[in-house]
Amino acid sequence: MYVKGTQLDTTSFQVRLTFSQVGAMLAVLGSLLLAGCATTGGEPNRAPVYQSGGAPVAPAPEPQQNTPAPAASPAVVALLQDSQRQNDAGQPARAAALLERALRIEPRNATLWQRLADVRLRQGRAAQAESLALKSNSLAGTDTPLQARNWQIIAQARRDQGDVAGARRAQQRAAKLGSGSR
Amino acid sequence: MARRPARKPSSKGSSAKRKKPKRHPLRRRVLLYGLPLLLIVVAGYVVFLDYTIRSQFEGRRWELPARVYARPLELYPGMALRTGDLNHELKMLRYRPVRTATEPGSYSRTGELYHIVTRAFTFWDGKEPSHDIRVRIGAGAVSTLEDARSGKHLSLLRFDPALIASIYPSHNEDRILVKLSDVPPILIKGLIAVEDRQFYSHHGINPRAIARALWANLRAGHTVQGGSTLTQQLIKNYFLSNKRTLWRKANEAAMALLLELHYDKQQILQAYLNEVYLGQDGRRSIHGVGLASQFYFQRPVQELGLSRSALLISLVRGPSYYDPRRHPKRALARRNLVLDVMAGQGVISAAQAQAAKRRPLGVTADAPSGISPYPAFLDLVRRQLRRDYREQDLTSEGLQIFTTLDPTVQRDAERGLVQQLRQLERDHRMKRDKLQSAMIFTRIESGEVVAVVGGRDPRFAGFNRALDGVRQVGSLIKPAMYLTALSQPQRYTLATLLEDEPFQVRNADGSVWAPHNYDKTFRGKVPLYQALAKSLNVPTARLGMTLGIPNVIDTLHKLGITREISPYPSMLLGAVSLSPLEVAQMYQTLAGGGFRTPLRSIRAVLNADGKPLGRYPLTVKKVASGSSVYLLDTALEKVTEEGTGKDVHAFLPADITVAGKTGTTDDLRDSWFAGFTDNLLGVVWVGTDDNQSSQLTGSTGALRIWGRVMQLLRPTSLQLTPPGDIVNAWIDPASGRATEQGCKGAVQLPFIKGSVPAAGAPCTSKGLNWIQRLFR
Repeated sequence: MYVKGTQLDTTSFQVRLTFSQVGAMLAVLGSLLLAGCATTGGEPNRAPVYQSGGAPVAPAPEPQQNTPAPAASPAVVALLQDSQRQNDAGQPARAAALLERALRIEPRNATLWQRLADVRLRQGRAAQAESLALKSNSLAGTDTPLQARNWQIIAQARRDQGDVAGARRAQQRAAKLGSGSR
Repeated sequence: MARRPARKPSSKGSSAKRKKPKRHPLRRRVLLYGLPLLLIVVAGYVVFLDYTIRSQFEGRRWELPARVYARPLELYPGMALRTGDLNHELKMLRYRPVRTATEPGSYSRTGELYHIVTRAFTFWDGKEPSHDIRVRIGAGAVSTLEDARSGKHLSLLRFDPALIASIYPSHNEDRILVKLSDVPPILIKGLIAVEDRQFYSHHGINPRAIARALWANLRAGHTVQGGSTLTQQLIKNYFLSNKRTLWRKANEAAMALLLELHYDKQQILQAYLNEVYLGQDGRRSIHGVGLASQFYFQRPVQELGLSRSALLISLVRGPSYYDPRRHPKRALARRNLVLDVMAGQGVISAAQAQAAKRRPLGVTADAPSGISPYPAFLDLVRRQLRRDYREQDLTSEGLQIFTTLDPTVQRDAERGLVQQLRQLERDHRMKRDKLQSAMIFTRIESGEVVAVVGGRDPRFAGFNRALDGVRQVGSLIKPAMYLTALSQPQRYTLATLLEDEPFQVRNADGSVWAPHNYDKTFRGKVPLYQALAKSLNVPTARLGMTLGIPNVIDTLHKLGITREISPYPSMLLGAVSLSPLEVAQMYQTLAGGGFRTPLRSIRAVLNADGKPLGRYPLTVKKVASGSSVYLLDTALEKVTEEGTGKDVHAFLPADITVAGKTGTTDDLRDSWFAGFTDNLLGVVWVGTDDNQSSQLTGSTGALRIWGRVMQLLRPTSLQLTPPGDIVNAWIDPASGRATEQGCKGAVQLPFIKGSVPAAGAPCTSKGLNWIQRLFR
């Protein structure tokens, strides 16, 4: 729209517009609405971006049979479903935002923390995924399947961070909890 | 038209320089060559005008202030909500109480049953449509939430968020951009009927209107009528000059023709609606119908009815002359004239005009001020924003900033603080207004800051004590020491006996530090949890020296204190200066089970189009053993059960569990309380600005404010989740050894597996209890 839209400097944009008249004409309507917002196509995303090794992060093995949130309210269930849909649609940022909404309603719901860990893992934010899974564990009480799944996430997150030994330890804990629960 | 301050430095001044060269009608040859030359100059001038007006139109970038929003209210069945809270929210959102709610932004109420039509709003994570809902509140919670039309139960919905501030550019231009489709058709039709009837048929100028105006003006001997089309008015608005010269008029007319050549009527109309000058608020000029609607009626332009639309149309002719707040009679007469014209033109029926004319102006008494009612919270937001955005972007790019402020908590925090400060001054016979205070409230797991009060006048945007009041924290520091100890379960448990005997340390400079307890007595030996609950200085200082000052400082840093701390022994008893915000960060980690969550005041930032620029996601980091923190938090519960924080139960019911800690500094200069319930953490400081004695301890001062605010907020009881390796055991506090339930003085305490002390305490059954035991 603004061909030289990168300028936030209002005094300079008029001069630069000379070069862009033709194209801009078509876009007047839009530009009016956009006026004042000087964001550019490449507006840097200010949220920290965690890069993983490059390859899209595989979700931790065997996407869990959704552990039902203990006595989750209808509001939280609805948000969880929405979040899942966004995640499936390749919108992890939206999925995370919905999980955060759910967490505001039930801040100590271990399942929600785990889902958030899952999303972060998919986004390649391994360190945060590990922390969130640990947080989920701290609220999991006696729910061993949930804990086992958290240790799987932790194992994957550690692998992504290059911590092979740590990943193995986490995997062992996951296995132990998994077998104990059956 | 009334004028506004000049705004845009630009190349427009050059038009004067480009005046045609003077003609010298002396010789024919000159004319022969001069005429083509003149044509070229004129053509060039037209091209120049064309360029100028098109750049102006297309490149128009309004400097839009950033809009700052509170958290949106989320409504769901079962949520704790009182009618008072919902009313407050609806008032903040300027929802209108009506008999039958049909329009977005209106509601009706019968007792505890509300019928609300919410406004649609675009959030960072998607659009929330308008909902037509029935809400029933029962026993302090949402008992029913359903779609009013279908009767279907709803699981969740979001209100639009309350606007809490705008961050203006230096020249205070303000605007709310609207799309043509946002503007009620009646407003557009009325505007055209009154200002430019031939708008859809003329080509930028309307010769007949000009002739009519000229004739009218000639007859009157002065200007009584304008013949400007909306297009001309728009151009006049672009190139603000007040001069009514013929040259200017000619320029305007030429530009109007050019503008119409390039753009269609809808585009021009939309630009006009956003550009038109409609009022002045001190230094802030009110442009466009979007902002004017908020400024005069405190509602979005979509919600304007006929009579209010007519009033806005009246203002086009002279916002100061017809200012409905200063000259209501004049404004009313003009509005009614506009309604008559609209009826005369067939835009509305005569009956509609009559009905609308009977209505009052509908203007709110006070213009919404550009000044935020929450200066202390906004201060925190601005600091966070300044780390990520340039000041210029904040004031001109129309950013939408979604914050974490909870208006209900903020209201109760302010009320509690103001009430209790007065009460404290009365109770302690102090001079009025001697005390100052600050507080900050956060949500525990998310780290969201929900309320900030920077001083006893919450509206005053001065020194923000919640962020900049850096004061000694006294005993608030102690949990760092006890956590350091409890992180070594093989050495320390809650039952470990600490020595409470005279004790002194020689500082590096040769001076001697000899701490004493607040009550100046020594108790010999006390169990660790009691030393913290009763805030005993001597055992704590001894413990700190044994643990090592650097280790304690290390714990403080892990908990989230980033400030450098000098490793003097006196720091162990709180000779460390922190702001309430920093204290909140430290206690956040304790309340969060050893997971540090950076305190946040912003959830997301969007650009003017609703595209997310920045997200401030929830992040956690494990910095301490969850089990050790669980032990510490249990000791902090003891503070309010039997220790220095007992008085919180003067405000809260006995069955509400609270964890907290008092802090008092030398000569009673500072009074602190930091405490948390299930989901809310609050830190309160009380003292004086000149660092004189406040005559208050943590218990007699800050705790009373904290307690009052929590009482207003009705928190739910703290329920710590014991990690898997926690076991409970009965302990004899005198010996620190394990004993049995029912033995005299026995208390039940949590331990990390493997650290339960050995048995061996003599058991004297207490009182009549042995009879009970006989029958067990």
